[in-house]
Amino acid sequence: MTGNEALALGALHAGIKVAAGYPGTPSTRALESLMLLNPPGVHIEWSTNEKVAFEIALGAAWAGHRALCTMKMSGLNVAYDSLISAAYSGTVGGLVIYVADDPGVSAGMAEQDSRGFAQMSDLPMIEPTSAAEAYRLVQTAFEVSEQASTPVFIRLVTSTASSFAPVQVRDDNGVDAKRNTGPLNRKPVLIRDINKFTKAGAAICLAQHRDLIARLDKAGHIMDDMGLNQLQLAPEAGGVGIVACGVVASYIKEGLEVTSRSGLDPKSVSVLRVTAVHPFLARAAQELLRHCNSIVILEELEPYIERGFYVQAQRMGYQGKLLGKVSGLFERVGEYGLRHVVQGISAATGISIPADAFQGNAEAEKLAAARPITVCAGCPHRGTFMAINTAIRKAGFKKDDVMVTGDIGCTILGMNPPFNTVWNELSMGASIGLAQGFAYSGLKTPVIATIGDSTFFHAGLPALANVIQHQVPITIVIMDNGWTSMTGMQFNAGTSEAFQQPGSRTLDIAKIVPAMGVDQFFVIDPFDLDYAAETIQKAIKLPGVKVVLARQECVIPARRRGLQAGRIRVIAENCNLCKLCITITGCPAISLGANTIVIDADQCYGCNLCGAVCNRDAIEIEMGDRDG
Amino acid sequence: MGDGDREGDASRVAHGGSRLTFDIYLVGVGGQGILTIGEIIATAGFRKGIPVNFYPIKGMAQRGGFVRAQLRMGRETVGPSIPEKGADLIVATEVSETLKAVRYIKPGRDGVGYNVILFGSVWAPTAVMLGKAPYPSLEQVTEHVQAAGGTLLYIAPEGLPTYKGAPVPDNIYVLGVALSQTRLSKILDAADVADVVKSRWKRGAERNLFAFEAGLKTQARIGVTTAV
Repeated sequence: MTGNEALALGALHAGIKVAAGYPGTPSTRALESLMLLNPPGVHIEWSTNEKVAFEIALGAAWAGHRALCTMKMSGLNVAYDSLISAAYSGTVGGLVIYVADDPGVSAGMAEQDSRGFAQMSDLPMIEPTSAAEAYRLVQTAFEVSEQASTPVFIRLVTSTASSFAPVQVRDDNGVDAKRNTGPLNRKPVLIRDINKFTKAGAAICLAQHRDLIARLDKAGHIMDDMGLNQLQLAPEAGGVGIVACGVVASYIKEGLEVTSRSGLDPKSVSVLRVTAVHPFLARAAQELLRHCNSIVILEELEPYIERGFYVQAQRMGYQGKLLGKVSGLFERVGEYGLRHVVQGISAATGISIPADAFQGNAEAEKLAAARPITVCAGCPHRGTFMAINTAIRKAGFKKDDVMVTGDIGCTILGMNPPFNTVWNELSMGASIGLAQGFAYSGLKTPVIATIGDSTFFHAGLPALANVIQHQVPITIVIMDNGWTSMTGMQFNAGTSEAFQQPGSRTLDIAKIVPAMGVDQFFVIDPFDLDYAAETIQKAIKLPGVKVVLARQECVIPARRRGLQAGRIRVIAENCNLCKLCITITGCPAISLGANTIVIDADQCYGCNLCGAVCNRDAIEIEMGDRDG
Repeated sequence: MGDGDREGDASRVAHGGSRLTFDIYLVGVGGQGILTIGEIIATAGFRKGIPVNFYPIKGMAQRGGFVRAQLRMGRETVGPSIPEKGADLIVATEVSETLKAVRYIKPGRDGVGYNVILFGSVWAPTAVMLGKAPYPSLEQVTEHVQAAGGTLLYIAPEGLPTYKGAPVPDNIYVLGVALSQTRLSKILDAADVADVVKSRWKRGAERNLFAFEAGLKTQARIGVTTAV
């Protein structure tokens, strides 16, 4: 199983009552796998956003239960407002926040090192090295959380979260034999204590701040006693010490193999594996400093542990070398691998290791064809991007004069060719506020915001409320495909209830927006290009707040249910290979044949956007399920 | 190097005999089923009691985007990423994407089989199709693979065998080729892999098994390293 699944299963076996999260690569699969297990008596949900998810988990924990919330690093920024208050209050039942970071950026967004949030909020953080450790240590995290009455972070990175690896698990699949005595069977408690659970007044807050610091200290002692950080000292003092955090520790053995070929005695190396990321556990660090003449600190992204070592070194009057990012050996960007272990040992020992032992030639990949990511064949967003482009042109504007702000998710793919529609990407829901700022900048041209459905519910709603309140003359295009698609088809508030967990209710954006006070509200079908373009053209010319709801289901779940919007046929005698269909739609189902374009029937959903741009009647459609 | 790097003595004893490590780097584009190749090998290894770490990365790729996966077999504790010059085998299912695996090729010895398998399909991005962006030639790819110490086995997509009138699934065919033409056969038995193929699909098992076995038998037909 993956690190995500191992972590989720570990939490289940620790007796969680509630798990809530918001999808975000690379964390998504954790909550998703719990949902598939559907364990009795446990509430598992995709929440509107990470802040809401955190508050749900916290509520359950304050009622004495164990709870998990899951998110990617960007989500932690959203949840942080509540999280810092919760840190001040502490918890009753165990509360674990799972955050997945993405060093090396496999999925887009910032290379944010969430360990900084643990420092900022004075909350303990544990970082497993592998999937097997994720299973075990999430259970440890719940123990620490309850023993020290504090929320606890558990952090994975992409490579541990997404890797499949063997994991030893209890084989009862979450149905606990000891269930009647386990945490899941706890009776809820209601604790009225305004000194702990409110923030009204300096006296309360200052006392809570002191309590918070004391809880972190206590958690540190507990984690130290549990032996979360493993120190292996070399038999003789004076050698090299390696400090490795999280997944980096799994490269040490190989690194020692490589360096031993260049003459290093592996037995002369001391190793400290850091699993307790925060607080800094000084005892093991001091032992290592006393034992080693030079110490290499291997941690991806920010030098948090390294700085901790500088503090201890200063206190102890350490005379040796500390090597890492502060020393300039490594940079703060990207994923770590074997190369960093080898370079670190080389720098610490002075043993020179030929670069060709661990470095290949990167020249070849520069020749590889650029493969800009685009929307799928049959994706409704294609029609919306095309319609926006057409509307701008027909309204008499140049594309480079019209700001179209972008948002998170598949809707951002409009940034790429052939559309080149969307200009920017910031954070969930940000397209609307950003557009408002552009509108205030004195532009004489229209401003358009684009946003997906899940993103709209996540953080777009407050921004829309603001636009309505201040009557900002912008056009907001909500691209509603009914799913949270970029992360792999999770449901959100707008997803049809037929596909959601039983008892859910769908929120209809077409009712919400007018009810909020948008008078100029339009609904379009992105597959109906002419009407969609005309509508957007009309909207951008109108004064005041305009919202266009572009509605058509995401092609992936639609096709999984066997739907087909239509059947496309190329009429060979009419096609003159003008390539217009390819240059405008960029549809991956269309390629060039000998005399005509060729449409791959396997990929084609029959959206007929190619037919809509063909001016030689060379593409014919037979309508399918879409109108049925 | 050569026959894979042996793990330390302790692990050899622990597992009752000599063990090999074997790292496979897979590249292709979304929709080609390279992750399926990786999952099948990982499952076969796992069933045999070999420690396996399988690290797929598809990022934001749906169909047609860059996909890669890294399979590391034989080490109890292993970092998920294969070091550069560390892959015992490269499996590529798209010509241009092969270039992204070149720096991971472990320079091989002559006479021990192929260490780069390329199923030569071409997924041209739109800009390439329109003649607005370059696409590497097979000769360029071959040169870079060889310069990095790779021994390339090129499989022409046109040569894909058919089953009941339709071409067999190319990814499973490539898996068969890997089992017969590379040192992967020293780690896994073809029969064990065939079992995984059989149990993976409820429907279409026959077709996939046919593809796998056709791949296994390709030895004589391909012969040359670069059928350019």
